Formats: sequence, structure tokens, C-alpha cells
Amino acid sequence: MGPVLDVVLSTGFLAAILGVSTPYVLAALGGLLAERAGVPNIALEGSMLSAACTGALVAGYSGSVWAGAVCGIAAGALLALLLGVLHLYLGADAIIAGIGLNLLAAGATSYTVFALLGDKGGTSRLHSGALPSVRLPLIEDIPGVGAVLSGQNVLTWAALAATPVVAWLLYRTRFGFHLRAVGEHPEAARSVGIHVHRVQFRALALSGALAGAAGVFLSMGAVSFFVTGMTAGRGYIALAAVFLGALRPCGVFLAALGFGTAEALAVQLGNLDVPSQLVSAIPYVFTLLALAFFAWRRRRASRTDAAPAPLAGPAVLESP
Amino acid sequence: MTSTLEPAAEQQGRPETQGRREFLATRRRTVVVELTMTVLTVAVAVLIAFLVVLATGKDAGGALDALLTGPLERTPRIGRWLADATTLSLLGLSVAIPFRARQISLGAEGQVYAGALASALVAINLHLPPVAAVLVPLGAAALAGGALGAVPGVMKARLGANEIVATLMLNAVVVRVFDYLLTDHLKAPGSSAVQSAPVRPDSALPLLSDFFQVPLDQANIGLFGMLAVAAAVWFLLARTPLGYRIRITGSNPDFARYGGLDVPRTIEWSFVIGGALAGLAGAHLALGIYGGLQPDMAGGLAFEGIVVALLGRNNPVGVVAAALLYSYLRVGGDVMEQQTDVGSDAVTIIQAVIVLLVTARALPELVKRYLARREAR
Repeated sequence: MGPVLDVVLSTGFLAAILGVSTPYVLAALGGLLAERAGVPNIALEGSMLSAACTGALVAGYSGSVWAGAVCGIAAGALLALLLGVLHLYLGADAIIAGIGLNLLAAGATSYTVFALLGDKGGTSRLHSGALPSVRLPLIEDIPGVGAVLSGQNVLTWAALAATPVVAWLLYRTRFGFHLRAVGEHPEAARSVGIHVHRVQFRALALSGALAGAAGVFLSMGAVSFFVTGMTAGRGYIALAAVFLGALRPCGVFLAALGFGTAEALAVQLGNLDVPSQLVSAIPYVFTLLALAFFAWRRRRASRTDAAPAPLAGPAVLESP
Repeated sequence: MTSTLEPAAEQQGRPETQGRREFLATRRRTVVVELTMTVLTVAVAVLIAFLVVLATGKDAGGALDALLTGPLERTPRIGRWLADATTLSLLGLSVAIPFRARQISLGAEGQVYAGALASALVAINLHLPPVAAVLVPLGAAALAGGALGAVPGVMKARLGANEIVATLMLNAVVVRVFDYLLTDHLKAPGSSAVQSAPVRPDSALPLLSDFFQVPLDQANIGLFGMLAVAAAVWFLLARTPLGYRIRITGSNPDFARYGGLDVPRTIEWSFVIGGALAGLAGAHLALGIYGGLQPDMAGGLAFEGIVVALLGRNNPVGVVAAALLYSYLRVGGDVMEQQTDVGSDAVTIIQAVIVLLVTARALPELVKRYLARREAR
């Protein structure tokens, strides 16, 4: 266990956790907003992927990383709005439409990259650059803490800031109040004059923008190029973090951090004699157990209330 | 047979025949409408991709030609088409059964790997007599897939846990365990690539090219197995009590519950059977296509099974037809990429548009209303 402990306790590892967790935190907060507004956003994956691709391409061709980041985030929001149109106006099932949009993002990104650069793998021959990392002049001199906090990417700081901002938005603003009302009981919300679809559209736009920021971090923060399919299922994991975090900003943040920690651990242990795949599987096993436990507790609570428990048809299939 | 209430039928004197004829006519009309809608959906999707290719300034005509006629030009391509359709049909059927019970299972990916792993473990290590050498690994694959399907099934049916999250998590776990076992324990000694030892020749699914004496790539008797499975799924859904329970649970869960059906048990079975079929798809990959285990051997196939199930309207015959159509486009996409400078990802776009068009249920209604308004002017 000696070398493992050395790795886990090193400051480099703690810094890596923050980096690896960034896309999970951003995307999961996005998933949270949509879920609380009553639209399960399974298109997080697609938003991330299209944002990662758009960001790198725009940055590469325009020469400005900030233009790339803005366009990437806008692309993520656009895909989520498309989900809104399909689900809210065209009667599409949110889950199936989300899967369709994820496919669309996968196809469209690699088609575009191939059409523009003639390379199926990604944009590595395009010099798109990365968003800057933030150095903290005084803090970086503090032993231990400095090495962890200083030198993190702008978007990592954005992810850390996004958690309280999303919490404030949800619980302290009029919009957040409407959002939760719409998600909990759309008919009731409508009856008191809340424009249900408008609120859901805004929630989806924010959700897609946050997922977009997560995607931009992948192609312009962690590395400085886009790789086809580089999200590698992170959007789905973020969705799991939404549920594992019990639909609350703080819980979602911790859950996303947990997934990030396990992934960072798997990477760091890769060169030691520990099966990294099994280490990285731990959070998923844990999520499964937590899912079963919460469901069991809810079922027991509803039984004591003598309320009819939903047996068939997931809530997500009933359109609001 | 309620047509005795209709005066016209009574006058004819043979109300049953009359009513039955009307019923059959209605059903035929529904089938025609559904088929037209499906063909229209695919045509619109291909058209959109065609426009995308045109807009990006490529040889759109040549690309479309390669996409639509390429797969039939050479027999190995036909073989690849049939082999691909076999896997996709099994995956489509595996998704369609829980769909019929109104359960969204995204667990096919994990179940494919579990099925591939189980069948390959048996086929590499056990020495069995000829026919059993094929059937036992297939059984192991179905068992592994079914067992994996049971986990989210029980969680959903008994605890009400969200099956989408459960299946996604299970996928993530199984894929990692598969990778671990393959790289650390099953990697063939002396091989530089990460892949398992080949399955025993007795266990490999016999190739169709040996029967027909024409090169058909990896197409194998799994094709006929798949057709038998599709027929069995049709029989299950249309002619057995369990199939009836699955359909009622899906179309009206409240009615099912008040009617005294064991809804949780039905949901569990829909997951288990779906999982077993996905396991068989994994066995087809391991014993028929690759002859062993490889990393990332399912690719994105599991999610494409969802497309096929949707396009086939969760109906066994429809699913097989949709799989044949869809894998035709996949093979055509590869030909297109080889012969022109248009990437095969255009096919993924076609697929995505198909999903979106099929799930946008209000779209036909909106189009109809729009056309009616234009006519009124």
C-alpha cells in the first residue's frame, strides 16, 4: 500500500482531481438544472462533444481561444435548445430525442472535422491553443495548498464557482423558484401564470451552456485539440452524478468530484501494479448501490404513507 | 365481432365475415401507413445528409451512388451487410422487448460484452462435442446477458430505481471489467495486440461462404439463428401469456395493475429476455465476427440497436427489416468513404435524423396541419 498512499497524498494528485473533475462538475450542474425543470437532459454528452469540437475549430481558425470558448458554449446551448424544441413542441420523448441528438453530435463533429481537415481522428494538426490557467501570486507560495490551487485552468475555477452560483440561482432567485415549480408540478405552475415552456427552454439553454463549458474544457483546457468522440461517455456519467447527488447542487458537486477522483486515481495508479480499470469502476458500483438504496428508502417511506408506489413507466416517459 | 350492432352488417346476413373483413382492411391500411411513414423517414434522413454533403462542396452524386449501390457490388460486401444486420437485429430485438413494457433499457452495451465474454470463455477453454460446441457458448452468452439484465430489472420493478441510470452505470462497470480481464488475464500469450486467444474451430459459427462457395466475408449461420430468434420473439409477444402481460404493462400500466397482472414480475422478465438477446449479439461478435475477444468490439452498436428498435416500431419483423436497412447504409457508408472523399460519418447523421424524426411524434400532425392551411388558401 506504500506507493499507493504516496500517490494519493501527493499535491500533484489533488491538483489532478480538480482538473479531471472539472468537466463532470460543469456538465452535472447543467444536468441538474434541466432535471429540476422537469426535462431529463440526456443530450449532455452531445452538448459536450459539439462544444469541444466547435471550440477547437473556431479557436484554430480565428486564432482567439476566447472566441472559441464562447462559440463552443453557444454550440452546447444550441443542442440543448434543439432538445427543447423536439421534446416540448414536437412531442418527442426526451430520452430518445437526447440519444438521437448525441448521435447527431457524434456524426456531425467527426464529419465536420474530416471535411475540413481531412483527418478522422481530430484537430491535432490545427493549432487551436488552450484557455489560460490561473496563477495565484500569493497563494502559490503556500506549501501544499499553492501547488493544488494555483495553475488550474480558468474553467476549473469556473466549475468551482458554478456550484454556489447554480445553488443561488435555484434557491434564491425568482427564475429558480419558477424552475423548481415547473419541474415539480407543471400544471400547478401553469395555473399560477408561469410560462412553463419558456422556463424549461431557459433551463435547457443554461444546461447546454454548462455542458458546453465542460466540452470546451476537454478540447481547450486539458489538451489543446479536439479528438473524435473525446467525451467518451462523460455526459452519461454526469447524468448519474445528478441522481447520485440527490438533485441538489452541493450533492451533485460532491458526486461529480467523486467520479473525477476515481478517474484521476485510475490514471495515477496506471503505472503501479494495480488494475486501473477496476479502480475506475468503483464509483459506478457505488452509484448503483446508492441508486438501489435511495429507491428502497423512498419505496419504504411511500409504503408507510400508504401512497400508491409507481410500478411501471418511468417518470421520464410522462411528458409534462 | 361486435358488428351485429351495425345495420349494414345485419342486412348482409353474415355479420362475422363482414366485421372481420373490415377489421383486416383497417389493419392492412395501418400497416401500409406505417410502412409509408418508415420509408418516408429514411428517405428524408438520406435527403438531409445528401444536402449536408452538397453544402460542404463534395461529390454528392458520387457519394449517394456509392452509398446506395455500393453494398451490392461485391459479394464480400453483401456478406458484411448480412453479418452486421444479424448483430443489429439481435440488439434491436433486445431493446424492443423492454420498450414494449415501457422500460427504457440502455444496458445493451454491457450485456453485449458480458455475452461475448461468457461465450468466448466457454469456446476457448471447454472441449465439447461438435454441435454442443456451438450451442453451449451461445447458452452461456444468453445466461450472462440475461443475468445482467436482471439487475436493473429487479431494481426498477421492486424498488422503483431509475432504469436509465442503472443500466448506464452497469455498462460502465461491465466495460471496465471486460477491459481488465482482457488485458490482464485473457490476452493471448505471445501476441503483441490486446486480444484473446482464438475460439476453438468447433465453436466458431460456420461461415456462409463455405455453404454457398462465394466469398461472403464474416457472414455466418448466425443469420439464420437471428431469424429464428426474431420469430421466437414474435411468438412470445403475440401468442404467449408473458407477451400479453408485457404488452399490457407497456400500453396501460394502471390497467395491468388493477387487472391483477404481476407488473413487477413482467418488467423483470422484459429486462431479462432483452439482456439474453443482447448477450446473443455479443456471442455473434465473439464466435462469428472476430473469433475471439477484442477491446471495444461492440463499438457503438448497442446504441444503434435503439435506432433499429425505434425504426422497426418495436415489432420483431419491423426490427429485422430496419436492421437490414440500417446495416445496408452502414456498409454503403464505408464504400462511400473509400470511393469518394465523403466521410462515413454522414451515415451517423442519417441515423440521428431518423431517430429524431421517428420520436418527434407530433411532426406528422404539424405537417398535415400546415398542408391543410396551405390548401385552404
